[in-house]
Amino acid sequence: MIKSFIFSLLFAVAGMSVIAGGYQVRLQGNKSTGMGLTGTALNLGSSSIFYNPGALSLMKEKMDFSVGASGIISRITFEKSGSQYQAETENPMSTPFYLYGAGKISDKWTVGLGVYTPYGSSAKWNDDWAGSLLIQNISLKAIFIQPTVAYKINDKLGIGAGFVYAYGTVKLAKSLNYGSGTGAELEGTSSNMGFNLGVFYTPTEKLSVGVNYRSKVLAEVKGGDATFSVPQSIQSLVPTNNKFDATLPMPGNLDFGLSYQASEKLLVSLELNWVMWSVYDTLTFEFEESGSRLNSSNPRLYKDTFIPRLGFEYKLNDMVTLRAGGYYDPSPTDENYFNPETVSLNTIAFTLGLSVKPTEKLSIDLSYLQLTGLKAEKSYSPENFAGTYKSAAYIPGIGVSYHF
Amino acid sequence: MKIKISIIALALTGMWACQPELNEFVPTKGNADFTTYMSAGNSLTAGYSDGALYKSGQQNSYAAIIAMQMEAVGRTGDFKVPFMETEDGVGLRGANLVTKMEMGYSVDCKGVASLSPVFANPNASQQELAVLIGTPIGEAGPYHNVAVPGAKVGHLLAPGYGTLNPFYGRFASAAGNAVVNEFANINPTFFSLWIGNNDVLGYATSGGIGDIITPIEGTPGIGFAASYEAVVQYFEASATGGIVANIPDITSIPFFTTVPYNPIVLTEQAQVDALNAGYAAYNGAMELFQSPLRITWALGQNPMVIADASIQVPPGYEALKMRQITAEELVLLSIPQDSIKCGGWGSLKPVPDQFILTSQEKTNVANAVASYNEVIAGVAEAHDLALVDANKYMKLASNGGLKMDGVMFTNAFVTGNLFSTDGVHLTPQGNAVVANFFIDAINEKYNSKIPKVPVSEYNAVLLP
Repeated sequence: MIKSFIFSLLFAVAGMSVIAGGYQVRLQGNKSTGMGLTGTALNLGSSSIFYNPGALSLMKEKMDFSVGASGIISRITFEKSGSQYQAETENPMSTPFYLYGAGKISDKWTVGLGVYTPYGSSAKWNDDWAGSLLIQNISLKAIFIQPTVAYKINDKLGIGAGFVYAYGTVKLAKSLNYGSGTGAELEGTSSNMGFNLGVFYTPTEKLSVGVNYRSKVLAEVKGGDATFSVPQSIQSLVPTNNKFDATLPMPGNLDFGLSYQASEKLLVSLELNWVMWSVYDTLTFEFEESGSRLNSSNPRLYKDTFIPRLGFEYKLNDMVTLRAGGYYDPSPTDENYFNPETVSLNTIAFTLGLSVKPTEKLSIDLSYLQLTGLKAEKSYSPENFAGTYKSAAYIPGIGVSYHF
Repeated sequence: MKIKISIIALALTGMWACQPELNEFVPTKGNADFTTYMSAGNSLTAGYSDGALYKSGQQNSYAAIIAMQMEAVGRTGDFKVPFMETEDGVGLRGANLVTKMEMGYSVDCKGVASLSPVFANPNASQQELAVLIGTPIGEAGPYHNVAVPGAKVGHLLAPGYGTLNPFYGRFASAAGNAVVNEFANINPTFFSLWIGNNDVLGYATSGGIGDIITPIEGTPGIGFAASYEAVVQYFEASATGGIVANIPDITSIPFFTTVPYNPIVLTEQAQVDALNAGYAAYNGAMELFQSPLRITWALGQNPMVIADASIQVPPGYEALKMRQITAEELVLLSIPQDSIKCGGWGSLKPVPDQFILTSQEKTNVANAVASYNEVIAGVAEAHDLALVDANKYMKLASNGGLKMDGVMFTNAFVTGNLFSTDGVHLTPQGNAVVANFFIDAINEKYNSKIPKVPVSEYNAVLLP
């Protein structure tokens, strides 16, 4: 039953919209989402497989399962510099999801498995919009599968480690300057590896701290399909069917978290994420045929970002828990190398969450995240394409967790 | 409890559909009055392209694009253009009328088919083209774009110029008019003028022998400076603002930079020896005349032999007025390629002077362009007009290229996106680029905000 559910999720997954800095998507647990997407210093049960495997070792329950998904509705508006020309994306709703299961196999050891989608991006501009020579549409998706083991050193200190297998798909299209209907479409998949390490420490009954490191994963596409629609007279120079190699880095993260049980009912969570975006320096495409003509090296010059987060959880009664939070996610992009394929603006986020426990073992977790990408004028100087961008995203989510 | 859930649900559904709003660019007219815009100039302003004046080329002229963009800052009414009836249009090549060109396949003298400009309708008769260009449409005017292919600055002042140039004659409001007399039919509040290219281009495109360079000095209608000043004054009868553009270095357009100086490829020593033997008499004679000129051949690429009337030889030796072209000199796009490939041009026979711009002729052109641009800058300043530095932009395009919205614009033939299949006139996309340069200069001068146009909405040279 669980197994078939996993598969239906895998096939149901649509592209993740651009919702945060770069193409990272941190919607990996609805309780965490409600609390400003904090989680490093929270004992979240099986969701800690993503947020901090160290916390898994101090899981209160014997077995814990958690599954959920969010629907990202994102909107981007663009106005070209020096003109009234405007364009809007028509992004399809995308649905990042997660699925975790963890169980104690001894007093000290806990094992778990997580399947989640931490990176993704999709943007669909009109095929003939003013930036079509840069990008028409793009969809990046990554599914991470993470077997995890955690060890309880003592009742206050736990460590955990996960191995990450990442499967990615990329699909993008751009037009070419040979007239209407000409263009290039690239499509490929990647299989790569990474890891996730965490330490979780509760020095007092009320205070928890956590540190989590998730390694970068390079999504390497080898032999992807490239289809060029070009006039017949130049098909000997630009073959219609070609293969390409490209590598898109998914950056490493180092997260520091602190949570404090301010009262019996109120939990406060503070967090700082160091996202190592500087790994995304250049996006290079190499083609099997006509490489000297088609290969391209495209500067992106991303910079590391630091995301401060704050979240609250208020336990109204045994059945209902309320959550709220917010964070500020600065854009990792360089203002002169801002490509409309990834519209990543300085973003302010507010979150709400609600858990209802119809029984002691079952929790239904609702979350809502609203993102406001702050208006900014940006340019992609290698192609001399400039304009003002503004974005918004509305992301409801629902999850279920069950423990015994 | 239930109330809370429904509040959240309501909040969610209410917020989802919000598209972020932007309103960064607010068009304003600044210190100018764009109510009635009028443009004058030559073939570039008319929208002449692909070797002909045709309807969609005219629709995409930079002047028509500027007029469209000016609607946001108060321009009213139609911008009337003297449209040709057909999409194939009519152009002038030598003394012949032709249709426009498009990219297609042509077979050369060796039977090799290659991608090259071909006439859209090679079978169009002189008679039918003459009817098309000769049909008077002056009564449907007055027109806002009074650009005349082939016109030099002095021509705009010439009464009855329409009887000499059918591109004006067809839309002249009266047969005896000069082009400048058309201005008062429109009474523009704002004008653009891009003229002067032909004052030197005609000399250059005829290899320095078919036309003269307009002198700076001279009365209106004769000298460049006085003519230019007079044309601007005609506009200022009604206009309170305007823009002029200077002359680009025309020797960097594809018409002059596409055919290499050294296309004679020798692959066998026997060919080399035969040619060297053939020119032994020439070299001997030049030695005798104490001239440093020699013609020599080697394996690989060799410079062509060209006719050069300026070479001094004793009477009776006029046939020796030839030499090998230097790397700095330019071969015109109008040279019949088959004559090089199969007719022995450049190797067995000198290339006629009309297809070559020699170093001296290049210098003459450069000097003329520089002195014209001084005049234009001076007029712009004296009349407090905006000025487009077309010369600067052409330099950028021919030295590394100009990029806009992902399109690279260079002076490369066909692939450079800027120039059409005739190697002289702009593509629709090139016109959009030029329109944006004009708009930039107007906005800067008049503190206005005319919106620019996205170049990706226009085509470059289309390939089959």
